[in-house]
Amino acid sequence: MTEKELQRKRLEKFIQERDMLHAMVQAFTQSPTAEEQLYAGLTKVYVDHHNEIIRCVEEGKPFIASYFACAPEIYSAMDLPWYTFLTPAFTGAISEPTLSAEIDGSEKLFGKDLCTILRIAGYYIEEDVAPIPTAIIGLLHPCDGTTVLHQIIASNENWSKVPQFAADPPYWEDERSIDYYVGELKRMVAFLEEHTGYRLDMDRLREVIEVSNKEYELWMEYNELRRAVPCPHGYGVGMQAFGVVEGFLVGDPRGIDWLKILVADAEKLVQEKRGKVPNERIRLFWFDVVSLGWSFDLFPWLEQEWGAVIVMDMFGYTPYTLIDTSSEVTMFRGLAKRALFDVPMVRQARGVADNFLADIRRVVKDYKINCVVWPGHMGHKDGSANIGMMRETCREIGVPFLHIGLDLFDKRYTAIDEIKDKFSQFFTAMGLG
Amino acid sequence: METKVKTKAMQEFSEAAKTLVNPAVQDWRKQGGKVVGCFCSYVPEEIITAAGFLPFRMRATGSAGTELADAYLSSINCSFTRHCFNMGLRGEYGFVEGVIWPSTCDHVRRTYDNWKRKVETPFVHIMSLPKKTEEPQVGWYRDEMVNLKKALEKHFGVKITDERLWEAIRLHNETRRLQRQLYELRKKRNPPITGAEALAVMVAGTAMPKERYNQLLKELLDEISQLEGNADYRARLMIVGGILDDPAYIEVIESQGGLVVTDMTCFGTKIMWNDVAEGAGDPLTALARYYIADRPSCPRMFGDYSRRADFVREMVREFKVDGIIGERLIFCDLWTVEHYMLDKDLKAEGVPYLKLDREYLLGGIGQLRTRVQAFLETMRR
Amino acid sequence: MIVGGCDVGSATGKAVVMKDSTIASYIIIPSTTKPEVTARIAMDEAIKRAGLSSLKDLDYVVGTGYGRLKVPFANENISEITCHARGAYWLCPTVRTVVDIGGQDCKVMSMDDKGKVIEFVMNDRCAAGTGRFFEAMARVLDCGLEGLSSLSLQSNHPATITSQCSVFAESEVITLVNEGTNLVDIVAGLHNSIAGRLNSMVRKVGLVEDVALTGGCAKNEGLVKALEEKLGVSVKKLPEDPQIVGAVGAALIAKERLSRQS
Repeated sequence: MTEKELQRKRLEKFIQERDMLHAMVQAFTQSPTAEEQLYAGLTKVYVDHHNEIIRCVEEGKPFIASYFACAPEIYSAMDLPWYTFLTPAFTGAISEPTLSAEIDGSEKLFGKDLCTILRIAGYYIEEDVAPIPTAIIGLLHPCDGTTVLHQIIASNENWSKVPQFAADPPYWEDERSIDYYVGELKRMVAFLEEHTGYRLDMDRLREVIEVSNKEYELWMEYNELRRAVPCPHGYGVGMQAFGVVEGFLVGDPRGIDWLKILVADAEKLVQEKRGKVPNERIRLFWFDVVSLGWSFDLFPWLEQEWGAVIVMDMFGYTPYTLIDTSSEVTMFRGLAKRALFDVPMVRQARGVADNFLADIRRVVKDYKINCVVWPGHMGHKDGSANIGMMRETCREIGVPFLHIGLDLFDKRYTAIDEIKDKFSQFFTAMGLG
Repeated sequence: METKVKTKAMQEFSEAAKTLVNPAVQDWRKQGGKVVGCFCSYVPEEIITAAGFLPFRMRATGSAGTELADAYLSSINCSFTRHCFNMGLRGEYGFVEGVIWPSTCDHVRRTYDNWKRKVETPFVHIMSLPKKTEEPQVGWYRDEMVNLKKALEKHFGVKITDERLWEAIRLHNETRRLQRQLYELRKKRNPPITGAEALAVMVAGTAMPKERYNQLLKELLDEISQLEGNADYRARLMIVGGILDDPAYIEVIESQGGLVVTDMTCFGTKIMWNDVAEGAGDPLTALARYYIADRPSCPRMFGDYSRRADFVREMVREFKVDGIIGERLIFCDLWTVEHYMLDKDLKAEGVPYLKLDREYLLGGIGQLRTRVQAFLETMRR
Repeated sequence: MIVGGCDVGSATGKAVVMKDSTIASYIIIPSTTKPEVTARIAMDEAIKRAGLSSLKDLDYVVGTGYGRLKVPFANENISEITCHARGAYWLCPTVRTVVDIGGQDCKVMSMDDKGKVIEFVMNDRCAAGTGRFFEAMARVLDCGLEGLSSLSLQSNHPATITSQCSVFAESEVITLVNEGTNLVDIVAGLHNSIAGRLNSMVRKVGLVEDVALTGGCAKNEGLVKALEEKLGVSVKKLPEDPQIVGAVGAALIAKERLSRQS
């Protein structure tokens, strides 16, 4: 194959993804509800980002692969286009039987017990069906799986030629750790400047961070509203707020607009005492991501059958601090803190188990949760080693705890009927609903 | 293909590998000595020795099961950690005064969190282990060692001087030197010791005072360097993997006619192929550099794969290895990918590679035998 | 007051007729492919055995069973956990931990001194330790279900079965058979392995005596003995067949409903 043909092959799946997302935008735009309009707006951003990457590939312009967890404020400030490896597992939920075929393909390479989302990403790399970026910013925490995904990339025949940098994560939460991570972020910036030719300007960074500060504030305001009984929104678009604040709209004024609409809608519902579910009987803390696949059947069933609303999930809740933008030093320290303490899933899983347990206590109290669910996604090895401690914490605070054991992306791992049965038995046994 | 090594030394080593609290540990304690458990080879054992304590690599030898641990850890957690924690819950680790963990991997680091809450060990400590092996990480881990040193001094009321540290480093290096000598003998066409026996020797080295161990190992080396050895094997094998502390597993492998002549594992060459640089100056810096930058690393270390692969190649060359057996504890994400990459690369270079999943406690022996036999046959041996 | 309780499981259907506070009759039958049919057959038989002529002789019937199943002729359908807990508590008011080993799955629940469920744990994906698994093992070992129990009691050296998953355990068993391991030791090993998993589930809710077993597999003496060893306590034997606990609970709830109505 010629270089051009290779490039096109690598873009194929990415373009398919873009097309799927585009179709979703069309569908959402037709709908009258505020929630679906928000989905439309957000999905359109993803479509735009895909288009930007496609343009970069076709025009030979620099772009990188990275994540929401590595101070993406910096990429925004550098105007550096970026995409993430992890999308296929999420969007794949609407492209069966392709997703199952890809999972099976990944199993042939990586076996059965590595996290599905990482296996799929690794599979795309090994099958050479992902656009090859100019540089990669890897992620080495919170789990073993994400480290080894980047090792796969570093060893792959084609991808090993792409410069890759990954910040080393400290295990602690103290000043020393922040200093250390600032060092890593500085190295990351130098790396990006060297390999992409883009520059980080402090004034531009200040602008971006100030916008992102506002975005975080709005996100917090929104989360305050979710405390209401009944909860204004369910498992839907509100759970996507982190994607706006920490993803492709970080430091982008359009993110502020989007969040304002989200807040306004929630506010209206709270004032009218209208909940997502008319007869809200169970307020759940779903202690993981609300994945697209289960959003079609499991979560709606919970709402309809049991009046069970997911009031908070792992990605919806994060404490945060405003970043002080007065100097380069304060900005970098703020970004380091954010990357370690304010990024969902990373903040709970990266260090000692206390972070997990503190979340349970806080969320149960603030959101009047009456049932904590650890979905037990097969990729969360560290989280699943917390089940005893989580159960005991829940016992202490008088809240029922349910551990299921499923795959957030492969619905064949534990069938939905079994999951529904477990929920039903549990709710009944504990006198909920 | 058995070499029956008869020395008292070998017997003592075998016993230390087969039991948890061997006689040497019992004696140590009877004399008032303290034992500190090390969960994983990244714990800087020299610091423990310098404190006057016996560093003891955590194992779950003789574990009765994981039922108690399974109330806290889940069925998708590594069986090594589940068995160790189970033994802790059953009180079988009452002989240690402390346990130290690095944040090695998802399963190990959570064992700390659970152990701390549920097992009555007087001193528990976790170290933040970096995920890269470059200069800033050496500096970071050195600071972690400083913190460990301070914590030990505070809890146990001891003083860990630089002098004591250098002494410990020299002592541990002596152990490594002797262990390398042992492996040198396995380079021969007729190695005087089987892979199972060699593993027993290595495991014993993590479970008794180094002075005594070094003495015994010298005796063993004297005896076996006289031995004829055995050239009657089908193939020379190398084991690559993580926590493998059970000689019986190697025995099953060797029962099919292959001879294990070397390895890259957590109880094998990884912990002794290099020395800590001896000299003057700051011993903790020397230790940090050894543990992070010099030693063959764990697959958790990002960016270091090619160095590990080169190490494997070096072993294959020097020990004239015919085939590699890569073992993995089920649910270990790190070794899933490491074996994936090594298998790809080494096969492309003409080195046969067999990937085996296992549980910590030896089981499925029939299946293991069959797979090894088939592997030897495909190597046409 | 004459009431009926009907519990349709995946493997068996159970029905109980209670006259006031006494069990007048009960029946356990293998499940047919249609749960409604199983329920009907079981209830009819129990009615006959109680010396009654038809369903009309029962003042109230409560149905329960596996999953979302509904017993069509019942006045009401209640969840099987509720029925199990109620039945176990009535049969033995000192019971605080119930281990239910049914056809498809295992459950452990802890109760307070009023019989209210405090904690509840279900088996995870690898559902070894259920009636189905024992049936499969009995087939592999060619010894029948009762055979499994008595064989295991004869062993002094149970084999170690390391596999968590029932699928792998089966192949481990076959390997042991081929290696010539004593049959009684293999069977005892299986029971130990399952008792071990049950032990873990009990530890999750917290072991509080008295402990009672319910479900068909509770009649497996070998399993009971193995579990007692693991738990370190004696299991309280219920005064009735442990397999009918759910149906008894259903009947009790039927009685309650009636009392409330009058």
